[in-house]
Amino acid sequence: MPVSRRMFLGTQTNGAPRAASIAARGHEALAAEYGDGAAQAAAARRADAIRLNSNENPLGPSPAALEAIEGAFAFAGRYPMNARPAMADLRALLAKQHGLEVANVALGAGSGEILHSAVRAFTSGSRGLVAGVPTFESPVRVARAQNVPVAEVPVDAAGRLDLPKMIGASKGAGLVFVCNPNNPTGAVHPADAIRDLVSRIGAASPDSVILIDEAYHEYVTDPDYATAVPLIARHPNVIVSRTMSKLHGMAGLRLGYGLGGMKAIESLARWTMPYNANAPAVAAAVASVQDEAQIERERARNTEVRRFTTAFFRSAGFDITDSQANFVWVNLGRPAKAFRDACAEQGILVGRDFPPFEKTHCRISIGTMDEMKRAVAVFRSVLNLTSSSVSRQ
Amino acid sequence: MQRRSFIRTLGAGAMLAAGGHVLRGGRVLGPWTRGFEEALAAAQAGTPILLHNNENPLGPGPRALAAMQAKLSERGVPAARYTSLVPDLADAIAGRFGCKPENVLIGCGSTQILRSATLAFTTPARGLVGGSPTYEECGDVARLVGAPIRAVPGTSTLHHDLDALAAAARGAGLVFFDNPANPAATLHPAKAVVAFLETVNRESPDTHILIDEAYHDYVTDPAHETQIPLALRNPRVIVARTFSKAYGMAGLRVGYAFAHPETIKKIRAQQYPQGTNVLGLTGALALITDLERLEQEKQRNTEARQFTIDWFKARGLEPTDSQCNFLFVDVGRPAKEFREGCQKEGIRVGRDFPPFEKSHSRISIGTIEEMRYATQAFARVLGVKAEAAA
Repeated sequence: MPVSRRMFLGTQTNGAPRAASIAARGHEALAAEYGDGAAQAAAARRADAIRLNSNENPLGPSPAALEAIEGAFAFAGRYPMNARPAMADLRALLAKQHGLEVANVALGAGSGEILHSAVRAFTSGSRGLVAGVPTFESPVRVARAQNVPVAEVPVDAAGRLDLPKMIGASKGAGLVFVCNPNNPTGAVHPADAIRDLVSRIGAASPDSVILIDEAYHEYVTDPDYATAVPLIARHPNVIVSRTMSKLHGMAGLRLGYGLGGMKAIESLARWTMPYNANAPAVAAAVASVQDEAQIERERARNTEVRRFTTAFFRSAGFDITDSQANFVWVNLGRPAKAFRDACAEQGILVGRDFPPFEKTHCRISIGTMDEMKRAVAVFRSVLNLTSSSVSRQ
Repeated sequence: MQRRSFIRTLGAGAMLAAGGHVLRGGRVLGPWTRGFEEALAAAQAGTPILLHNNENPLGPGPRALAAMQAKLSERGVPAARYTSLVPDLADAIAGRFGCKPENVLIGCGSTQILRSATLAFTTPARGLVGGSPTYEECGDVARLVGAPIRAVPGTSTLHHDLDALAAAARGAGLVFFDNPANPAATLHPAKAVVAFLETVNRESPDTHILIDEAYHDYVTDPAHETQIPLALRNPRVIVARTFSKAYGMAGLRVGYAFAHPETIKKIRAQQYPQGTNVLGLTGALALITDLERLEQEKQRNTEARQFTIDWFKARGLEPTDSQCNFLFVDVGRPAKEFREGCQKEGIRVGRDFPPFEKSHSRISIGTIEEMRYATQAFARVLGVKAEAAA
């Protein structure tokens, strides 16, 4: 039976029926509960789908990381502290790379666990969370679930976090979440602005912990940007989170880390799971974070494709932020859902809703150049653009 | 001293002979589909014998590793994608155990589920109850949330004292009940467990009971039964399982649990949702239906366990009645002293388990070859005869 374009939106597709098809309803319900949405989950199962919805590296881990993953298969039966390399080896390596002590480093099952644990560790019913809006939603979601008060500070017209207002809202807060570059807007703050924010919050609200999420750090090309890690030495309440899920191409392997003052990291780590970093991911991370040439290659590749994608939307007359990450943030002047569903019908998956911009903006991840050329053709047709330079498919 | 008497160190040539193959850049891939044990030995050559974390010494085996390896095809792109395999594994587990996926929760090891359940059901007003000694994870979390902890001493045979546990459970938020127990390795027969659960339900109807069956697949006592069927219908009962023990995937971090859908929802609400990784989920999907491998592993462990029990008994040292892949032995000296002696012999044994840290050591069961080697070392450390009296 031929599988229609529409069918994958409502039901499972490709290949033989899964053994679990008897439980398909349950599966869909679970998929929805896990936050994918049934349509997204089903579309994602298409082998030929172009996935521009989760800011992943479309090329996978580096060759050195792949080799390390396979080398770790011999330790699949051992807890991660008994594997070679062990979690402690990765912590030591990261500490050395960043000029810190091992006690300044906490590992997470993705940086998501660092964010989740930070909310648990540093906020309460009386000590709230400060975050931008829109920004990466996870800390706000965890805080709301725990009845922690949340101060959401809108971004400015260029999609930048409003740092002065966030500083103003920080007094008495348990945690200030600063996503730099900001997801979903792609906007980046220069090093001096972050330094200023840290010292002003330190003066105004010395007990507040400042969590600076640098998930997209490696993709930044703006020369005014720098990591906040050096601030930790003078501001022990700063925690910087990093991930292996983005430039390092390991979203499926679940590894991230937090760097911060020893006391803050100790408090945070009590909320993380013990042996949370699986053995293959640890081995891959050890190989990947040392592979400077690979990091540079992937950054350059992303920059070129990002430039191509940005130029397309600009030339078509859409307002697009100057993204410093592996995604773009575009004002399409229409609901993200309508655009997303229309793109999904043509096999292109784009970003979820980011309230309060869900009626106008869409986040589109950067794939390979080939993927983006195919995606741009679909965008043209979905957006009813006419052009002689790009042929319709 | 390092392991050497029974493990060969294999070079690349031997790896190839054992079934490995050469890929890009001339590198030798591990022969994951054939000759796995040789590859494992090569990778672990020179490391101590690890008898301290109750791991399966053979790992997940070729079927799971081959499935994982397939995720590294296409330059490993599947590893770069956020995984959507969690619902697939929930489906597969539901199929294997005859329940609905809504009855199943997946975690980053059962550790995550133990932590999430403690967050869900304990508060400063409603505490945690467990045996003493027991596995510490729930206690660690209860301390974080300021929930009071009641640790109930076990019986003289190091079984949990079910009557005392039930009495302590009145008004508690959560009872943690590991069966078989860790570190004591002892089993509570199904009849006693059911009676215990009924008592707690009757006398403290709001209290949840988390039954940790991490070592279920190693039990040989016919009086044992899983409480999964009860967990499916009783909203106060949760059964946790893991891929870290008999399935041999401790390094890949996947655990699971069964409960009423409403109970699952409450636990999931506390849980970091992205803790599981694509390789672990893939390995778990390959293994969950592989009952033959599970049976082989159980037989392997039973044989090595019996050898080790007999060895201690022949020297007048009495382990508890182990139903797990470890023993809890009265070594007549502080666990630390025994542990450090073993470490010098290239063997790692279990940590302290208060209040038994002055007398008992927990020793995991490795391969039969490892246990033969280890017992020779134990003889030197304990000052007993290596060969039993005739």
